[in-house]
Amino acid sequence: MQTASDAPEIEFRNVTKRFYLKEGRTLREFAQALLTRRPWGDEFSALEDVSFKVDRGETLGIIGRNGSGKSTALKLIAGVTAPSSGEVYVAGRVSPLIELGAGFHPDLTGRENVHLNGSILGMSDREINDQFDAIVEFAELQEFIDTPVKRYSSGMYMRLGFAVAVYSNPEVLLIDEVLSVGDAFFQEKCLARMHEFQRQGTTIVIVSHSPETITAFCDRAMWLEKGRIVADGPTKQIQAEYIATVPHHAEVAHGG
Amino acid sequence: MLRQFAEFWRRRDLLWHMVVRHLRGQYKQSVLGYAWAFVNPLSLMIILSFVFSTIIRVPVGEDVPYPLFVFVGLLPWLFFSSAIASGTDSVTNASSLVSKVYFPREVLPTAAVLTKLVDLFFGLIILVALLAYYERLPEATVYWFPLLFGIHLLFTLGLTYPLAALNLYFHDVRFLVGVVLTLWFYLTPIIYPVDIVPSKYEFIFDINPNAVFINAYRRVILYGEDPEPGRVLIGLAVALITFVIGYYLFKKMEKGFADSI
Repeated sequence: MQTASDAPEIEFRNVTKRFYLKEGRTLREFAQALLTRRPWGDEFSALEDVSFKVDRGETLGIIGRNGSGKSTALKLIAGVTAPSSGEVYVAGRVSPLIELGAGFHPDLTGRENVHLNGSILGMSDREINDQFDAIVEFAELQEFIDTPVKRYSSGMYMRLGFAVAVYSNPEVLLIDEVLSVGDAFFQEKCLARMHEFQRQGTTIVIVSHSPETITAFCDRAMWLEKGRIVADGPTKQIQAEYIATVPHHAEVAHGG
Repeated sequence: MLRQFAEFWRRRDLLWHMVVRHLRGQYKQSVLGYAWAFVNPLSLMIILSFVFSTIIRVPVGEDVPYPLFVFVGLLPWLFFSSAIASGTDSVTNASSLVSKVYFPREVLPTAAVLTKLVDLFFGLIILVALLAYYERLPEATVYWFPLLFGIHLLFTLGLTYPLAALNLYFHDVRFLVGVVLTLWFYLTPIIYPVDIVPSKYEFIFDINPNAVFINAYRRVILYGEDPEPGRVLIGLAVALITFVIGYYLFKKMEKGFADSI
């Protein structure tokens, strides 16, 4: 095991995140809200007064049902969204494995997209060049690397996205239900790479509603329910408590 | 804000990749490809010349043929308006990216604006050809052009930032931008010279930065006069203030981007 340093890699201090429920606001509604001084649509708390720490090198699994605030927590760690109140502290480069290949441009070739996506994830050109061969080999796309990605199958697309994220040398890795990428063989490779990250002391946060993924990787699990932490502790214990509350146990275990 | 700007500067590789991404995407599925970058300014110049020097005779003086006169105004205008329009949409169009990964968001509007420099460059090639056609050389004062344009670019970026951010919150902004750009075109001395404007309306052209820039371009490229130093300094001050305020507003609104998508 890695020795955790004094400073936590990730810390949430009394974090609350609210969203407005209403979609597609227009200037007219904004003007109305200004004039009537009424709040702008109904609010909804995705996270409510959540505090936790993740130490360097630790792997945390967040479990909970849909809408429990798991993905919001990941977005806060990724720095994509800001808390409504409280503080989120993250040290180091974060690489989100959330929706792989989000930055891909369909008309660009695989090679060009590796450069584009790598730089979106914070890699310098030199780092990308150094890792390029490894990325392509990991994605198993040597023959197709100069083909525009719009001709890729969805599996190829995902593999390339995953490979770039994995080689972006993150200090904090965020994983949101993406281990179902590609065929069984590629999944094996991803899992192996995840374990390698753990050995290197990368901090990992995994969000899943499938208990298997969490058990496979995490020593520690955190259970969220309606935006609050229900329990936080050793995976086995939390897992058992969580599963006990789910009426159709089998369904959940095979879902996701 | 300086720290944020430093972070932006550190990510200039990303800015470059985004510009390339825009360019590769722009004319990808078209047969003529980059030739379209010539077609737009050239056809506008021809039709404007026909309407405003043959049908309606706009007096631009003896020294400069109308097509040259209109083109020197048209090019920077096309840059300005296309940069603003595409910059306004830039963050909204990248919403899937914005809601998933963090990177300095100002990369998006900045890349959209810088991409339009390529179209401007093609336009300048036409300008050189046009000057050759009329057997003219650019005046010696043309060396002012890069400086003037640099100030104009700063101003354009400063306007684009808050528009790109606001458009994410209110989709009305892009429509508003379309209307304002059309009105602005007519209130900028592109198809007519400022000297034919009744003096009581002259103030419009003093407070319209695009008018100031376009007049200065004509002076240095076509008339061989240095720009008025006072106006250059005011232009620089306005551009800098616009940039700083625009950038500040953008960074202020940035935090809520992912929540408004």
